[in-house]
Amino acid sequence: MDGLEDGISELIVRTGLKDRSAFDRLYAATSPKLFGICLRVLNDRGEAEDALQEIYVRIWMKAHLFAVSAHSPIAWLAAIARNHCIDRLRARKAPSRPVEEVVDLADEAPGPERLAVAASEGRRIDACMEELEEARAEAVRSAYVMGYSYDELAERHGVPLNTMRTWLRRSLMKLKECLER
Amino acid sequence: MNGADEHRMDDGGDALLAAEYVLGVLPAEARKDVAARIEADAGFRALVGEWERTLSPLNADYAHVPPPASAKAAIDRRLFAAATASSRKPSLWNSLAFWRGLAVAALASLAVIFILPFFVEPEPGPARYVAAMQADASPVRYVALYQAGTGSIDLTRLAGEPAAGRDFELWLIEGGNAPRSLGLLPDSGPARITLPPSLASRLSGGATLAISDEPVGGSPTGAPTGAVLALGELRGI
Repeated sequence: MDGLEDGISELIVRTGLKDRSAFDRLYAATSPKLFGICLRVLNDRGEAEDALQEIYVRIWMKAHLFAVSAHSPIAWLAAIARNHCIDRLRARKAPSRPVEEVVDLADEAPGPERLAVAASEGRRIDACMEELEEARAEAVRSAYVMGYSYDELAERHGVPLNTMRTWLRRSLMKLKECLER
Repeated sequence: MNGADEHRMDDGGDALLAAEYVLGVLPAEARKDVAARIEADAGFRALVGEWERTLSPLNADYAHVPPPASAKAAIDRRLFAAATASSRKPSLWNSLAFWRGLAVAALASLAVIFILPFFVEPEPGPARYVAAMQADASPVRYVALYQAGTGSIDLTRLAGEPAAGRDFELWLIEGGNAPRSLGLLPDSGPARITLPPSLASRLSGGATLAISDEPVGGSPTGAPTGAVLALGELRGI
């Protein structure tokens, strides 16, 4: 895992030095993950492809800002992808997601990667998630993974907006406390 | 409906606002405000980075889906078509790459006019190369002059200096090789670095110089560990 992370870090640094062959290899190594993010958040294949293009254009232009000492490479790339996709989602006039579509992440079997990550860092966040009430943990996880807004979360959980905001804020603080123990 | 102000006023302040941004729950206008703050405020940027790391294990929920092959071709067209097209098409006036190139050339010719006379004997001799070094969102600007005859690189700082407790480290990138450290740059005044002959002989094929932000004493790993603050391609003059 560390070896893989180091390899991705090096490719980002060299992309920051405008090395096109490093950029090509970075794309080959990371685009399935980032495309997975686009598809999940945008839920529209055509828009996900447009988003992916924009994301790698940004990665090429921002790679020189990446600091190996300060960033985890995958977290850095995933943040660029998620931010762009969520901005697109928020810019939509009407939600193209059917409201009745229920994605129950709690029932989804963990994929091989989730199991692998659970062996290290992921196990801590999963353990900390279990300390939260189930509905709140589900709200945090689906907000992050699906890109739901406060409004959508309030509607899905049938609680007022302010209640949802308070739930999430308390949950985030608890999560942070738990992870820092 | 909700501006960033409303979110900031509530209890919890910046740490919560950063968490809400990373989680992704804020409405469009609030996200714009927070994104502008991330650009402008290094302390807040660090808070956001901390939350990105904290929540990043949740990225494991995303499946890996290979994108269609057409996606990479479209990215390359967007990023690199201007550079290749400007050499083919006559519409230089409309070419962003041309104007960028012109800005670099202007900086390089300034270097030739003001800096070259201090270093270079007037008679025609071995090849000389100049690199105008800069990067987006970085205040650091250097000009480098490489003289193939002596294998020396002279660097003059035009703007920017290392943060307290940090050093500037110079890197050479040639061919497909990993960046090679050429050492730390002095805090003030011009710098001269002499390349070993084995390295100097390889530079005629084109090379890039870069400066990265490193801990005092330079990169502990032998590769750049901090942000790239300036870079520029050596061009023959």
